[in-house]
Amino acid sequence: MSAPTAPLTPSLTPAFSARARRKAVAGWFFVLPALLLYLFFVIYPFVTSVYYSLTDWDGAQPIKRFVGLGNYQKLLGDNLMWEALWHNVIWVIIGTISPIVIGLLLGVLLWTGTRGRIVFRIVYFIPVVLAEVVVAIILNWIYHPIFGALNEILRSVGLDSLARGWLGDPATALPALLVTAIWGYYGFCFVIIMAGLQNVDIDLVEAATIDGANGWQRFIYIIVPQLSHVLTMITAFTLIGGFNVFGIVFVMTQGGPGTATQVIATYTYRRAFQMSELGYGAALSMVMTIVSLIASYIFIRLRERQE
Amino acid sequence: MNVSNAGSLPGGQEVRAERDLYHSGLKVLGVIVRYGVLIFFALVCLVPLFWVVSTSLKTTREISFSPFGLPAEYRWSTYVQAWTVGRFGKYFMNSVIVTLPIVSFTLALCSLAGYGLARLHFRGVNFIFYLFLIGLMVPFQSVMIPLFYLLKEIGFLGTYWAMIVPSIALGLPFGIFFMRAFFAGLPQELGDAAEIDGCSEWGVFWRVMAPLAGPALSTLTVLSFMGAWNSFLLPLIYMQKENLRPLVLGLMFFRDAYTQNIPLTMAGATIVMAPIIVVYLLFQRSFIQGLTAGALK
Repeated sequence: MSAPTAPLTPSLTPAFSARARRKAVAGWFFVLPALLLYLFFVIYPFVTSVYYSLTDWDGAQPIKRFVGLGNYQKLLGDNLMWEALWHNVIWVIIGTISPIVIGLLLGVLLWTGTRGRIVFRIVYFIPVVLAEVVVAIILNWIYHPIFGALNEILRSVGLDSLARGWLGDPATALPALLVTAIWGYYGFCFVIIMAGLQNVDIDLVEAATIDGANGWQRFIYIIVPQLSHVLTMITAFTLIGGFNVFGIVFVMTQGGPGTATQVIATYTYRRAFQMSELGYGAALSMVMTIVSLIASYIFIRLRERQE
Repeated sequence: MNVSNAGSLPGGQEVRAERDLYHSGLKVLGVIVRYGVLIFFALVCLVPLFWVVSTSLKTTREISFSPFGLPAEYRWSTYVQAWTVGRFGKYFMNSVIVTLPIVSFTLALCSLAGYGLARLHFRGVNFIFYLFLIGLMVPFQSVMIPLFYLLKEIGFLGTYWAMIVPSIALGLPFGIFFMRAFFAGLPQELGDAAEIDGCSEWGVFWRVMAPLAGPALSTLTVLSFMGAWNSFLLPLIYMQKENLRPLVLGLMFFRDAYTQNIPLTMAGATIVMAPIIVVYLLFQRSFIQGLTAGALK
């Protein structure tokens, strides 16, 4: 599953030095086009972003006034920022656990030689290939307050009192968005868990069966521990995605009603591009960067440990 | 997962027969529950899609009195209307125009750099590798604001380049990381033999290594294609001109303009999702492999 990593330090012997030099020159030529593009369009803007976050620039003035850590101080006292970050935390927790649980359930059910495995796999993965905007529009229609499927179903089983404008009600808007995200994502978790299940030692499971472990015990004590590395991978992956979530929220609620579904990415977009507070927006984007860096660092460390 | 320990009862023919019956009953129940759950989640994936298509073929009135029924009359004219009013033809071409160069340059630049970092050792190779690794960790949001002004300054804003070039650059870290791992996994002797036969470094790469990279390249193709095709925030900021909008962005503005006309909106959504679902079904193996490579490789 994971390709071996190249040794980072080559061993050079004098006899090969001419060849080594030729390789070194060639190496630069191979790497240079990508490196230049990367430096100019990623690293340079990143450094500039840090600089912007220390100014109060509005995008129009020719001069960017340096305010030091002013934006960051403002950030700490910004209740909306904390609220948005809190929504991200909820998003990450529920948006990570639920698709993994569903993926595990489906994975285990299909693992033990169920027929039609390939067909199920193809079907579960369909929402994963759809663009966020498409997923958002589909679920928007399902949540439609008057004609939406969800309310129609509730009314048809006599639960009229539960029918509501799911996205317009501050109490249900965030859960409704989360369901949307999970709908578009559980197939992804399922496929990865299936891949992990290929490596689970079936003899161990059989031995446990002979020893009298029931299905639930086999699942918790034998299968899940052997899947731990796949599960940490998905968790880390989903964690990063959950802190950067933008499209679904932007298309479905724009962060509303009020601020009920504002997340850090939509809030950053709002301050930077709709309110033209570039400096403050840049500071907000640094919050996302720091959170992502921490999550990615953990991800990479876990990955290294497994190699 | 079907439950199997019913507890052991003292011997006796009848008891055993009874127990067998009990067991086979449980087994059947297990199978029913298992398929029930599997089919339920399959329907959760499929029913909304069918519902979108069926809604798109109804009249606005029909939606209110028969929300779940099939359309009484298939109104394909809604699609003609969506296609012309929504300018999806134009947006589709825009998506193709930006996606093709993004995918091809991503493949070319990532294989070159990945190969260079994996097999041609030079001073600073570690540093460059870690520099790209940082890019794997920073979200798009952390560069989006200055990138806007950079693109404006160099005259890319208002052209297709505003989406093409940043998408390639932002895709480099993972692509290089991925290709480097692939090339590092090829046996060392392969290049040595070709070198002895008089191949240049370029020759080794182009004639020996690159032809072996097919599977890795197809994975990267899917990943970069889907990234570009479904990209949303980047064109939202950098492709604001109406005639530059890619498909996904066009759909969003279309939805905003025709919120009240539900069949028309659903026709738009169908136009956007249908091609990608068809392509996915044709190449499902590579799609699944490509899209999960980030978490698996």
